[in-house]
Amino acid sequence: MKMTTRVAYDNMKYYKSRNILIGIAIVLTTLLLFVIPTVGKGMADYQFAAVRKMYPSWHALYRNVDEETVRQLAAHHDISAYGLRSDAGYMNLDDADVAMMFMDAKGLELYKMELVKGGLPEREDEIVVSEGILKELGQQGDIGDTITVPYQVYRGGELDLTETKEFQICGFFEDSDSNLENRIYTSLVSEAFLKEEVPKEDIAYRFLLQINDSDKTTTDNIEETIKNIAGQFGISENETNINMEYLAANYIDPVTIPAVIVIMAIIMLAGIITIYSIYYVSMNQRIQEFGRLKAIGATRRQIKQIVLREGLCVAAFAIPVGLALGTLSSKAVMSLFIRMFGDESEFMRAMGEIVASGEVSLFYWWAYLIAVTVTLCTVYISLLRPMHKAAKISEVEAMRAQGTGKKVRSSRKGYEYITIGRLTLRNLMDNKKKSAITIISMAATGVFLMVVATVLSCANPRESADSSMVGQYEISPIIEENDKEHPELKWSEVQKDNPMDETLRQQIEKLPGVEKVDTFSSIKVTGDMFMEGDSNAINGVPEEYAKELEKGIERGKVTYEELKSGDKVIMDSALNHWYPDLDVGSKLKLTVHDGDREYEKEVEIAAVGNYRSGLTNYAWLIMAKEAADRLCENNADMYFHVIADKDYDQTLFESLEEIVKSSGKIQMETWKSRYDNWKSAMATTSGATYAFLGILALISVMNLVNTMLNSVHVRKKELGMMQAIGMSDSQLMKMLQMEGLFYTAGTLLISVGLGSILGYPLFLYAKKDGMFNITTYHYPAAAALIVTVVLILLQILLAVGIGKSVRKDSLIDRVRFSE
Amino acid sequence: MNTDSSKILVVENLVKYYGTGENQVRAVDHTDLEIERGKFTAIVGRSGSGKSTLLHLIGGLDRPDEGKVWIEGKDIFALKDDRLAEFRRKKIGFIFQDFNLIPSLNVWENIVLPLGLDNRKVRREDVEEVLEKIGIADKKDAMPNALSGGQKQRTAIARALVTSPAMILADEPTGNLDSQTELEVMSLLKSCVKDMGQTLVMITHDEMIAQMSDRMIEIEDGKAVNC
Repeated sequence: MKMTTRVAYDNMKYYKSRNILIGIAIVLTTLLLFVIPTVGKGMADYQFAAVRKMYPSWHALYRNVDEETVRQLAAHHDISAYGLRSDAGYMNLDDADVAMMFMDAKGLELYKMELVKGGLPEREDEIVVSEGILKELGQQGDIGDTITVPYQVYRGGELDLTETKEFQICGFFEDSDSNLENRIYTSLVSEAFLKEEVPKEDIAYRFLLQINDSDKTTTDNIEETIKNIAGQFGISENETNINMEYLAANYIDPVTIPAVIVIMAIIMLAGIITIYSIYYVSMNQRIQEFGRLKAIGATRRQIKQIVLREGLCVAAFAIPVGLALGTLSSKAVMSLFIRMFGDESEFMRAMGEIVASGEVSLFYWWAYLIAVTVTLCTVYISLLRPMHKAAKISEVEAMRAQGTGKKVRSSRKGYEYITIGRLTLRNLMDNKKKSAITIISMAATGVFLMVVATVLSCANPRESADSSMVGQYEISPIIEENDKEHPELKWSEVQKDNPMDETLRQQIEKLPGVEKVDTFSSIKVTGDMFMEGDSNAINGVPEEYAKELEKGIERGKVTYEELKSGDKVIMDSALNHWYPDLDVGSKLKLTVHDGDREYEKEVEIAAVGNYRSGLTNYAWLIMAKEAADRLCENNADMYFHVIADKDYDQTLFESLEEIVKSSGKIQMETWKSRYDNWKSAMATTSGATYAFLGILALISVMNLVNTMLNSVHVRKKELGMMQAIGMSDSQLMKMLQMEGLFYTAGTLLISVGLGSILGYPLFLYAKKDGMFNITTYHYPAAAALIVTVVLILLQILLAVGIGKSVRKDSLIDRVRFSE
Repeated sequence: MNTDSSKILVVENLVKYYGTGENQVRAVDHTDLEIERGKFTAIVGRSGSGKSTLLHLIGGLDRPDEGKVWIEGKDIFALKDDRLAEFRRKKIGFIFQDFNLIPSLNVWENIVLPLGLDNRKVRREDVEEVLEKIGIADKKDAMPNALSGGQKQRTAIARALVTSPAMILADEPTGNLDSQTELEVMSLLKSCVKDMGQTLVMITHDEMIAQMSDRMIEIEDGKAVNC
């Protein structure tokens, strides 16, 4: 073995406790560096495998494409494959939905649909069905048999009246669980049927396509090509549907790699700060050692090599442990995730099956390679300064040094009276730089933790649910705008016999637990300024919400009183996003739809505001309720927001459900279901984030352990001396506690103080960006408290542990101790 | 219990062994000893004879395997660690060969440290008087690294005297000093102890210093052979 390696190896063993701490920091760094990309990639891989299993493989589809455009698109050089689909209509069945559509063979392939037997329909009277469809039709049959089908086809943009026709079965689909459970099916008809039944001008194809050379490009490029092609043929953005799930599952998302790099850089930084500071704190202690080596002829390069190799020796032990722990943890995290969410949806079930079957590997050789490489880089960067410092030590200076490595003044005004507190302070002040480095390196992680905790604490499931709903229950009529078979479900029809009447309101209000029912009205309006087919509504907001309305105004000025005039509206800023030309002062010429009556009405946008969706009910124009009601002769009440005394009350829920069921015309949404959804989503995010931050914090805690251990080790003789002249064990403990408390207090002050200050701008950014539906700032009190308690407890335990280890040596051994 | 008030220190069948089996060293081997109040006793012996171990045991810095040490009638090893530390700072002053000053404290702070540990109020005049007597009044703000060997040992003596302990235990206090300083320090120590009526127990190699004592005890193979 080379001399430098030999010395480095012996040093590693000699400075065991310090190297164990560095080893732990390296283990944790390797663990995170391995787990983050592995779990991230694994999660994405499992998800993508599930997507590939379940989602269609077309990259995009263009809606409402006519025959001529289909021909031209088919010849486009950027399109490698295409398929066609066109919806002809629906079978007319009581409780089941059976779509009748034409799809060519390539379309079928791109949709990942397969026939279990038979072939595609060619003749006008051929059809592909499933056993489920036959059951819904109350008929039986096999290939070649004839069935009678009542159906409605699209004519003039709506479903026409029911017709009946005999079809010959030419093929069969297999029913999925979801088909049978939801009673929603698809049947295939021929292009001949489509052309025969649907007027030429009403035939709209869906053009499904895959892009050329997509395997060499990113999702962003594919998206851009799809939009370019759409632009060339005048296909609007609304008519373009990009299969983002499939693209993300198959091609590289340009955001993923930078995100992983940023997270890994943070881990690396925490590792560097910790390992560097551990070396820094203990380097002074070793000045004499390096001086002696230099005195007996070691060159600067050899000294550097000794420091580097000592670090690498520790890494050689720690990295395999980190990788082993990382491998186990990654597997455990994935299993836990699937156990927690595996039953939530069909998609998650598919993911669970993929995990269980092991068809997608969680572990990649490159993840191990990355973890090892980045960890070694972390160790190397951390060692650069200590290497430089050790090499710079002069022989004479080192031999003179007393192991403290700092210049000591020859005299100083002292305290007249010495107490344990003053002794502690004196030691800390004499080691200002060491104390500062320990505090700053720990606080760096603390600040990061507090900043992230601010965002997480602002992502409050309660507020997200509150934001999406006023009150605890929302009751509204069942409305279907585009179904000719159910014309009674159009809002204009529902309005004529609106179930949302005073009787219903009172019936709900009388239920125990209901405090009040707030009624919001909705007036359907259309206008030239809106895109074709876009219908909007004026949301009539009751006076109870006047303050909230006025408070939400971002531009312009209007009072609730002025909104009562019926000529002024507030525009939700979301509408402004889609129609940037509209602003304060714009006059809107609207057509108001009131039952069978339609009339023109001009309103002025008096202000633009930002409101929770619970208040706007997704309508983008807002008026005082009494003014909105005046616009209609019919009852325009659309939402009963039930304000209850409890967030959720099973009895009240059942009573309301009973009312909803017996009416048959209304539906209900609950605050609790929205809250539960948010809560479950946030629990996962917070859990994963805090686990990550916890390990990061653990890495930086190694600093505190090292500094305190080092501080005691360096002063072993001094402490022994103090005990010899009468310092009791409890006084020694008190002194160690106070020193630890100083580091803890300093770390907490910076972490909590600076972290709280820096958290606010991040909250503002998150709010603006719509991250986690954040609306209100919440100080991360729980995180601050947990960090404080954990750090104090840790420091107390550390002081007790160190105190015990000091007392392991007899007092006389400590007094005699010499480095 | 020892009740003879003229005896400040009584050592009874004291045993301290290090190691086991063949490697066992009998540092203090069934030693009995009595020391009178206000006397200067020198403990002499060859290197490795066990005199330092005996002094450490007498001062309660280490615990024996067997035997008892009575100081002012108190069995010191019956005390728990914290009580023993308290007893030490009240009753015993230590002076070591290598001074053992606290490097981060200046001379004044080093001297008043035992008072602070004992939560006693510092009477400035008393400390200044000790400093005057010891001859380092002008060095009270100096840091230990700026002192000569003699000054360091004077500081250590001042620290041992400041609490007015009943007994001063000195482990070769002049071992690291030149002969001129050695004499100065010794006469200073002797006179201070005499003035304050304290008992001085000192380990020394130096025959001349041993001759200055009221009584000499020779230690050989862990046993007091000539009391």
